Amino acid sequence: MAAVRTPREIFLNRVAIAAVMVVLLIMLVPIYWIGSTAFKPRNLATTIPPTVFFQPEVSPFVKLMTKRSQLRKPVEQEVYDAAPWWEKMVLDGGEKVVRTGKGKIRPSGYGQRFTNSLIVSIISTFLAVSMGTLTAYGFSRFKVKGEDDWLFFILSTRMLPPVVVAIPMYLMYRVVGLNDSHLGLIILYTAFNLSFSVWIMKGFIDEIPREYEEAALVDGYTRIQAFFKIVLPEAMTGIAATAVFCFITAWNEYAFALIMTNRRAQTAPPYIPSQVGSGLPDWTVIAAGTFLFLLPVAIFTFLLRNHLLRGMSFGAIRK
Amino acid sequence: MAQIELRNVQKFFGAVQVIKDMNLTIEDGEFVVMLGQSGCGKTTTLRAIAGLETVTSGEILIDGKEVQNEKAADRDIAFVFQSFSLYPHMTVYENIAFPLRAVGMSNSERDKAVKEVAEILRIPNLLKRRPSALSGGDMQRVAIGRALVRRPKALLMDEPIGALDAKLREEMRAEIKRLHISRGSTSVYVTHDQIEAMSLADRIVIMHDGVLQQIGAPEEVYLKPANLFVAQFVGSPVMNVADVSVSGNGGDVSVVVGKADAGFAFPQSTLGNAKAGHELSLGIRPEAVLLSHDKSDGAIEVKSTNIEPLGSHDIVDVQIGSEVLRARTESGFVSGEGQTVWVNLDPTQAHFFDRASGLSLRGHE
Ligand SMILES: Nc1ncnc2c1ncn2[C@@H]1O[C@H](COP(=O)(O)OP(=O)(O)OP(=O)(O)O)[C@@H](O)[C@H]1O
Ligand SMILES: [Mg+2]
Repeated sequence: MAAVRTPREIFLNRVAIAAVMVVLLIMLVPIYWIGSTAFKPRNLATTIPPTVFFQPEVSPFVKLMTKRSQLRKPVEQEVYDAAPWWEKMVLDGGEKVVRTGKGKIRPSGYGQRFTNSLIVSIISTFLAVSMGTLTAYGFSRFKVKGEDDWLFFILSTRMLPPVVVAIPMYLMYRVVGLNDSHLGLIILYTAFNLSFSVWIMKGFIDEIPREYEEAALVDGYTRIQAFFKIVLPEAMTGIAATAVFCFITAWNEYAFALIMTNRRAQTAPPYIPSQVGSGLPDWTVIAAGTFLFLLPVAIFTFLLRNHLLRGMSFGAIRK
Repeated sequence: MAQIELRNVQKFFGAVQVIKDMNLTIEDGEFVVMLGQSGCGKTTTLRAIAGLETVTSGEILIDGKEVQNEKAADRDIAFVFQSFSLYPHMTVYENIAFPLRAVGMSNSERDKAVKEVAEILRIPNLLKRRPSALSGGDMQRVAIGRALVRRPKALLMDEPIGALDAKLREEMRAEIKRLHISRGSTSVYVTHDQIEAMSLADRIVIMHDGVLQQIGAPEEVYLKPANLFVAQFVGSPVMNVADVSVSGNGGDVSVVVGKADAGFAFPQSTLGNAKAGHELSLGIRPEAVLLSHDKSDGAIEVKSTNIEPLGSHDIVDVQIGSEVLRARTESGFVSGEGQTVWVNLDPTQAHFFDRASGLSLRGHE
C-alpha cells in the first residue's frame, strides 16, 4: 500500500537519500584506496596527487606471495625470456624472485599467516558460538542458582583491556608451551568471544517461546533433540549474527597475536605491518596483503546476510 | 485412548500453592472441560498431566499406571497450546509430520497419516504454507492436527480458541466437538469461557484458587451448584445471592430476604435439614425471580430500581429489604424505575447455602 506523499515529503526523502550517498562514499574511500593500490605498479602508488587512472596489474600479489631480492644489474635476456609471465613482472620492477638451490620458489610468509588466521578464526568462532549457545540455552531455560551473578561474571571477563592480561598470559603460555601455537590462540580467542556469545545468544534464545520445545517434548522428543530440531533453527538469526561478530573479532585481533606468536602460528594482522619495516616500503604489497585480508570477513558476512537481515518477528506464535 | 486419574495432587511454585489436593478421574473417551478464572491453576493442572510440570506430591495415573515421574515424551499425550506454537521454520506439512518423526514411522505411512489428518481438518490446501501465512483459525486447525496425527492416548487443550475472534470461536467450537465425536479421544480442555465449557463438555470441572469446586455434567453444575462459588460463576446473568433468615417449623417455612418485613413461603424440603433461625444464603437465578403486576398468593410488594433492556428480555432489579434481586422478564414488562410490582420466588429453583462454609445445603441431603 503506497501512501500518498506530499511534494515536501518527496523532497525530504531525496535529501535523505543524497545524505546517505555522501556518507557511503566517504566510507568507501579507504576501501577504494586499498583496493586500487593493490593493483597499481609500484611507482604509481605514492604519487601526489594520487593516480586514479592506471593499467591495473597483479604484480603486487605476486610480490606478496614470494620472497624477492633487489637486482644489482639488469637481468640477462635469456633468463628474462625463460621466466614465466608473473616472474617477468617482478623482474620488470627491478627485483628477482628468490629460489632455493633446487630452483624452487621461496614463498613469503603471507600465505601461511593467512592460513593461520583462517584456522584460528574459524575454529575459535565455531567453539565460541557453539559453547555460547549451549550455555545461553541453559541460562535461559533452567533455574540456575545465582544466575545473575554468573552472567555478570561471564561478562566481566570482557571488561579488562586485552593489553592488561597480555603479559601474564604470555608468561603462563610460555610455561605450558602454548605460545606460538594455533591451540594457544584458539583458546584465547574462544575465551575472549565466549562472554559475548553467551550474552547475545541468551537474548535470542529468551525470545524463542518455550512452548516450541514443550510441544516437541510432549510429541516424543528428548530435550536434546528438541534443542537441535527446534531451538537451533529458530536461533539461526542470532547464531549468524554472533558468528559474524566473533569471526570479525578473532580475524582482526592484533595485540595478543603480536605478543603470543612470532612464526609458526602467527596470524596475518601482526604480519602485514611488519612488512612495512623491511627495506624500502612497497605500499602496493602492503595494499595487496590488506586487500586479501579484507575478503574473508566480507564473504562470510555476505553469505550470512539473509540470516542477519531477517527479523525475529516471523514466528507464528500468538502472545 | 485412556483414562486419566489425579490423586491428591499438590503443586507449589516456591511458597505459592497452585494446585490444592486435586482428585479427579477422567474416563476413557470423555470430554472434560476445566473451567475457572484466570490464575486458578487450570494450565498448571494440564501441564502436570502432560508432564511439562512436575507435581510436588500426589499421583497422576494414565490407564492405571503412575506416570508422575515419567518424562512428557513417554506419556503419549498430545497438547495444544493457547499460542498454537507452530514451528515457524517448518511448513504446515512438516509441522503435522513432526510428532511422527519422533517415532520413526516409514515415509509412506507418515505421508498417509498427515494427509488423512489434513483431510479431517479441511486443510489439505494449506500443507505447503508456512505458519506465518495462516489465519488464526487455520493455525489452530494445524495445531490440533499436529496433536491428533499420532493418535495419542489423550488430547489436552489449553484455551485453544481463546485467541480467536468471537465468530471464529463459535465455528471452531463446533469443529472441536465434531472431531471429538468422530475420534472419541479422551480430551481435557481448559477455558475460562463458560459457554465454551457448557457446549463442549461431557463433564465440567470447576476450579477456584487451585481447589476443585465441583465436577459434573453441564446441566448439573448449572442446576445443582455445589457451593456459592459455582453458583455465581456458572450462568449468565449471574445468580442472585442474598442473605436470608428462615423461620417457622414443619410444613412451610418462611424465608426472609434481606431482613424485609415479610417472607416467602418455602416447603421445608427445599432447605434440607437447615433449622429455623439458621443464617443462610439464598441463590436464585433471575429466571426464577417471578414478577407480576397483580397481587398474588405469597408475593411481596416491591419497587423496581433498575431496568436493563437486553432485546429478547429485560433484567429488572427489585429491592427486597436490604437486598437487590435481579429478575428476568419479558421485554417491556416493567416500564420504568420505581414501579411497584409483586415478586415471588420459584422454590424449585432456589438454592440454599451455608453462609459460613458456602456449601450447598443440597450436598447434605
Ligand atoms: N512457572 C511458574 N512459577 C511461578 N508461578 C507460576 C508459574 N506458573 C504459574 N504460576 C502461578 O500459578 C498460578 C496458576 O497459574 P495457571 O497458569 O495454572 O493459571 P490458569 O488457570 O491457567 O490461568 P489463565 O486462565 O490466566 O491461563 C498463577 O497465579 C501463576 O502466577
Ligand atoms: Mg492458563
